Amino acid sequence: MAYFVVKRDLPGVTLEILQSAGMRAKTCCSEMTNEGQSVRWIRSFYLPETAQTHCYFEAASRDTVEEANKRARIPFTHITEVVEMTPDSV
Amino acid sequence: MKDTELAASFAIAQAKKRNRSEVGTDELLLGCLQVISRFGVVQMGSWTFDLEELGVDWLDDPEISEVKVAYSQAAVDLFDRAARIAAADGSSTIRVAHLLAGFAVENEGLMGDLKRSHGITNASWRVAVARTWSARFGKDTSVSQEDGSESGSLGDYLTPEEAAEALSIHVQTLRAYVRSGKLPALRLAGERAIRIRRTDLKTVLEPLVPQT
Repeated sequence: MAYFVVKRDLPGVTLEILQSAGMRAKTCCSEMTNEGQSVRWIRSFYLPETAQTHCYFEAASRDTVEEANKRARIPFTHITEVVEMTPDSV
Repeated sequence: MKDTELAASFAIAQAKKRNRSEVGTDELLLGCLQVISRFGVVQMGSWTFDLEELGVDWLDDPEISEVKVAYSQAAVDLFDRAARIAAADGSSTIRVAHLLAGFAVENEGLMGDLKRSHGITNASWRVAVARTWSARFGKDTSVSQEDGSESGSLGDYLTPEEAAEALSIHVQTLRAYVRSGKLPALRLAGERAIRIRRTDLKTVLEPLVPQT
């Protein structure tokens, strides 16, 4: 399994819209995992200065992450694999 | 699993069963009703919804299906509305009650059919959702009364049918009491529907033998 970041431009987005998107992402990931395509939404960060959102997912492939976001109908601009680093891992 | 996730899971299963590529508001409504149902029946306010009549096979596990489904734009709009209702309700998460309350403005599809067949209005639906929620989860949704002097929970307000049942009289008799002013009643803002305070029911009762 790998980690991916999904970048979104969401000008004018509200906390409620983010909550709605989060619930859709969560339920679509759950459904896809039930179908045999394991994908998990880990967490998201909203960047107020740029109105961007960075959402982190764990999945076997980039395509799986893309499908989860399309099924949840959450717009995105870019999906790319990332390498995780934590204070404990260095 | 939270109730909303369960409702979404039911909704997705419904969409798959119907071989649809999108989860629409009809499937979401059925999912929400399935979550709050018992033995395939939902009791909300004075309305009873039989899931079987609505096409839901509530006893059987959903079949494994190859169909891949996505949320429709209408479903997205409903989730957005539910999120705003949740925020207004002071909740940090979207619950099934918020989704159900979000259906109050829907006039198309299954919700539209239910509104027409059961005489459901926007406000009476929200009242029924709030009362069902309070009864199931004990949440006290306080509302201001018309004189602003006191507050009560939505569970303190009865439909004419419920008030009639509480007094063991016919609902037409109860409505006659209201029309004559014998029984105080409140009108839902902007609606024809009326509600009766539970505490006002005693005003139509009098001792069999006058007390001295």
